[in-house]
Amino acid sequence: MRAELILLCFGMMAVTYLPRALPAALVDKLKFSPRVEKFLKLIPYTAMAALVIPGAFTVDAARPEIGIVGVLVAGLLAWRKLPMMVCVIGAIVADFLLYLL
Amino acid sequence: MWNETKRAQYLAGLRAGISIILGFIPVGIAYAIMAGQAGLSGAETVLMSATVLAGASQMMAVGMYAQGAALVTIIVATFVLNLRHLIMSTCVMNEMREAPLGIRLLGAFGVTDETFAMFTTARDGHSNSMFFMGLVTCAYTSWVGGTAIGVLTSNLLPDLLSASLGISLYAMFVAILVPNLTKNLRLALLAVLTAAVNTLLRNVMDGSWALVASTVLCAGIGVFFVPLEEQGGAEDAR
Repeated sequence: MRAELILLCFGMMAVTYLPRALPAALVDKLKFSPRVEKFLKLIPYTAMAALVIPGAFTVDAARPEIGIVGVLVAGLLAWRKLPMMVCVIGAIVADFLLYLL
Repeated sequence: MWNETKRAQYLAGLRAGISIILGFIPVGIAYAIMAGQAGLSGAETVLMSATVLAGASQMMAVGMYAQGAALVTIIVATFVLNLRHLIMSTCVMNEMREAPLGIRLLGAFGVTDETFAMFTTARDGHSNSMFFMGLVTCAYTSWVGGTAIGVLTSNLLPDLLSASLGISLYAMFVAILVPNLTKNLRLALLAVLTAAVNTLLRNVMDGSWALVASTVLCAGIGVFFVPLEEQGGAEDAR
């Protein structure tokens, strides 16, 4: 294992852990108002929306339909109230079939 | 400390984390393939997964490394890309106030897009620290394990299969989002707005900044028009 790579890994670890740990260390000292609480409860939904769109459409940069079909299949299955696992596997199978075509 | 309730909560977290495993193993394999192409040895590839636990930034890092970028540049880029965890960890830790500092600092290492998404949208009764630690256990082991599988099998895995697995994490986010959005139309509207803002912002700034900016901005807008009854994020962490 090269020293350069070990240095890189631990450097990346430090800068990635810092923003993760800061709220863990400080949450005792913070008391959020109801409005901020609501803001924090909305973050998961806005974050997930932003994580999926447009990122999912470039899952295969050369073939945007791979991402679009995968997302649509997962969305349809989730809309039919199927368990998460089924949605994930469904999207994988749909993309696999699309590649086979 | 370790009583029956906590044990049950931890096991519930492990069970809910199965979806994360399903997503992380294929992405870990994909990362391992990229790292191999970038010239990292198997041990170096696994070490990065074990220390960093942040898929997108690891893929970016090995990509930059392959192009000969300076270490400092890669580390700064990693910091920027992973700044979003500051917001995510704030949401997670706000639900983990009851936990001792040591547990919180340990759990903080496992804040990823996926553990955050599952934890903060879990049903009431699941917003406790042991449930989160269960999710993190799944995430960490499957990420490191998936990377190792990728190192060992990168030549054996059919290309079509590994390509198809790329959708799995996105599918997971969609599967968490959709049941919540169909129950709350204004929340759905907010999600559409966020997606649109993120797409627009990507034209004027780097993708990781666009993600943070659209997430925070739209959650701020949502405070004024999205009702959140005492649902704790509704049904779901099936």
